[in-house]
Amino acid sequence: MGIKSFSRARAIHVMLVYTGGCNGCDIEIVNSILSPRFDAEQYNVFLTWNPREADVLVVTGPVTHLNRKPLEAIYEAIPNPKLVVAAGSCALMGGVYKNCHGDIPSEEIEGPVENIIPVNAKIPGCAVRPQDVLAGVVSLLPILLDAD
Amino acid sequence: MDEKVPRSNIIETEIPMGTVHPAALEPYRVRFFVEDEIVQEAEITIGVNHRGIERIMEGLPVEKANSLTEKICGICSNSHIWNSCRTAEIGLGIEIPERATYIRVIMGELERLHSHFLYLAHGCEVLSHETFSMRVFYLREIVMELLAMIGGNRVQYGCSVLGGVRPRCDVDEAKLLRLKNDMDAVEEGLTGFVERFLADSVVQSRITGIGVLPQKQAIELAVTGPTLRATGVARDLRTTMFEYDNFDFNVITQPDGDVRSNLVMRALESFESIKIIRQAIANIPEGKVVNRDWEMFDTDMNESYIEVPRGTLYHSYALESGRVRHCIIRTPSMANIGAMQYACIGDQITDAQLCIVQCDPCFTCTDRAIEIIRR
Amino acid sequence: MFGNTLINAILVGAITVIFCFLISTLLPGIERKYIHARIQQRIGPVVIAPGIMAPIKFMFKENVKVESPVPGLYKALPIICFIAVTCLLIALTPQAFAIPALSSLVAIVGFLKVEEICYVLMGALSKSVMSVRMPFPDQIKGAAHNNAVRSFVEDISSRRSLRMITYGSFPLYLALFAPVTQARSIFLSDIVAFQQLNGPFLFTVSGAIAAIVFFIGYMIILNEYPFSIIKAKCDVIEGPYMEYASKYRAIVYLTRGFFMMVLGVLFSVLFLGIPPVITSWSILINIIVALIFVFMMGIFSAFSPVFTNRQLLPTILGTTLLGVLAIVLGLL
Repeated sequence: MGIKSFSRARAIHVMLVYTGGCNGCDIEIVNSILSPRFDAEQYNVFLTWNPREADVLVVTGPVTHLNRKPLEAIYEAIPNPKLVVAAGSCALMGGVYKNCHGDIPSEEIEGPVENIIPVNAKIPGCAVRPQDVLAGVVSLLPILLDAD
Repeated sequence: MDEKVPRSNIIETEIPMGTVHPAALEPYRVRFFVEDEIVQEAEITIGVNHRGIERIMEGLPVEKANSLTEKICGICSNSHIWNSCRTAEIGLGIEIPERATYIRVIMGELERLHSHFLYLAHGCEVLSHETFSMRVFYLREIVMELLAMIGGNRVQYGCSVLGGVRPRCDVDEAKLLRLKNDMDAVEEGLTGFVERFLADSVVQSRITGIGVLPQKQAIELAVTGPTLRATGVARDLRTTMFEYDNFDFNVITQPDGDVRSNLVMRALESFESIKIIRQAIANIPEGKVVNRDWEMFDTDMNESYIEVPRGTLYHSYALESGRVRHCIIRTPSMANIGAMQYACIGDQITDAQLCIVQCDPCFTCTDRAIEIIRR
Repeated sequence: MFGNTLINAILVGAITVIFCFLISTLLPGIERKYIHARIQQRIGPVVIAPGIMAPIKFMFKENVKVESPVPGLYKALPIICFIAVTCLLIALTPQAFAIPALSSLVAIVGFLKVEEICYVLMGALSKSVMSVRMPFPDQIKGAAHNNAVRSFVEDISSRRSLRMITYGSFPLYLALFAPVTQARSIFLSDIVAFQQLNGPFLFTVSGAIAAIVFFIGYMIILNEYPFSIIKAKCDVIEGPYMEYASKYRAIVYLTRGFFMMVLGVLFSVLFLGIPPVITSWSILINIIVALIFVFMMGIFSAFSPVFTNRQLLPTILGTTLLGVLAIVLGLL
């Protein structure tokens, strides 16, 4: 393991972008990092709110119209190598908002996230459990370590 | 103070924040108009979260629509499904077993606890007090585990169904015992936190007199829920709901309408919730939890108001051969947006996000019915 | 013979600086893991993560085009900061006492001022995606004040750091000049010599008060909570550092740890009379002082919210008065 991979394994900066959805996943993810119960920092995962600092972008929610451009802009701002984690069933497939309807289908959803930016890992769940979030971010490690 | 007026009308510059910002848990855009770092005016743009739930509910079978309302909000999901079921139950005249009512109340109060703890934790985080924030998150974790124990999931539990609660959410002796023990733990932890919080003079100086919402303005802006009670108006829909007839609790108010009143208010209300849960544990009657003995028929508009952690929630829809028609949902944050914009005025820009947070925003709840015009 | 001594002196000075730099990379991790995480009852990251591993990781990231009106200057600023801090440490080594222009308090104040000016420029030059540039249709028909001037969040941060220059860092400079009242000289060599003769300045009344003032000034100049108004998370997110990516961010990270160390060394020189030399065991005292400062800062910052101008002004005013008191007591 070179110094590059070694250092990457010991400092992972995660940025969270919420793109609509019901708020449940956002809170569970912030909870998984801020709460001492789960404490992502013990796996050297740090929460950041600055795209220039981030390595991993965690996206929750089906992307609504107004959220599409901000999401793209933030994705553009992250320096390479960058990875994207889609968390929650909304981010994976548009969730109930896209797939469940009565007489009128929903036209509000641009998502899933895959349609807008490339996704490296998917965390299912409605809402995602903190354990799954940690597992998902850590499962990206091999890709992150081997990237240029 | 009757009314807040900006110290001057000069707008030096505009500072937009959002849609992604560390102080906000949800996407929204806010523009602050400031003069020398003092906010003169604030404009919150919502609609970022618009998913059109009421529209996709149109024509869904009522059972399905009920569970869809749960996805409106990840914080007060139980309140939405509860009120949605309640709407149909009122319209169809379904009688709910006593035990189911008690379980609904337990879930509702647990949810109020977790929502208020989230509020306290988020408030401390916006104050940049990481330690307090983490301590409250730790307490909140106990409540989340209890919700997962009863409902089977940490966030969306789907507890209520038409005629009662899901049989999975029935509570047995072991669960009640754990609930009882954990309520003691939560109360102990919360007492410690509140004492520590109120004794911290630095934090107190930071939150006292900030983001004042005068009572007159609060009533004019039709603010609801804890934000209204923090200005001194004792208005709580729980006192009129039949579910709470057998419970004894106080309506908490605070005098000032500033951030301190709001935070203290949430903490004191949590103690009331613990009290209600304890009464429910002690008096929960035996019997079945769901009444399946009802018939579907077409109804006109049915409506139902309940008190949810953040204020008054309104659901209404008509039923037409078992399907939902003309659904309208009005969430508390809709009413409180005016208060958020108002509370910012006259405070430092560092406090501005705190003033918004103090009104307990839940824009995911709110962004459903507003018509957005695409440009 | 003379040449040999000179080379030896330069060598010892350089090794001292490098040694201090290496120790300094541990400080942010110590603060994060052993203080913040312990207070917050969690495990926390490994010690090397925030101070060493994060900068190395950023070194290997791809460089991006910086959004700034003057990208060249903006990118140069963290390097200037780093050089200023290094010069500060060099000025503190006894080898530099031979150069009076460098090893005087005036030069030290100068280097600290360079650091502060850099924050103003960084804030003014950074145009991050997180505020005005976020593509969101909010200036539309019906919106309030459509013709208002729009500012980035970093602009507020820049204005605040200007304010910090004018009065915020005053306590630190007062505390720096308190030892002068005893030694009656602004040259570090005299201050050190005086203290080695008469005992450390810290253990006099004036010195003890000045040490408190120094500590508060230390937290202000490091922008640590509660004085972090120029990079408060609740409004300006990261303030001046918003746009730095890859190598430049690595330097920002390293500078922070190094600055913590250098200010600790500065304290031990001015208040204890112990300059850092790698050849003597007394360098351990320098490290211990730096660690004590980091511990105290960690404890303070974990238990306080960010201050706004309302709290900042009285705090700084009070500290300044204390500093004046220390100087007056020293003169008497």
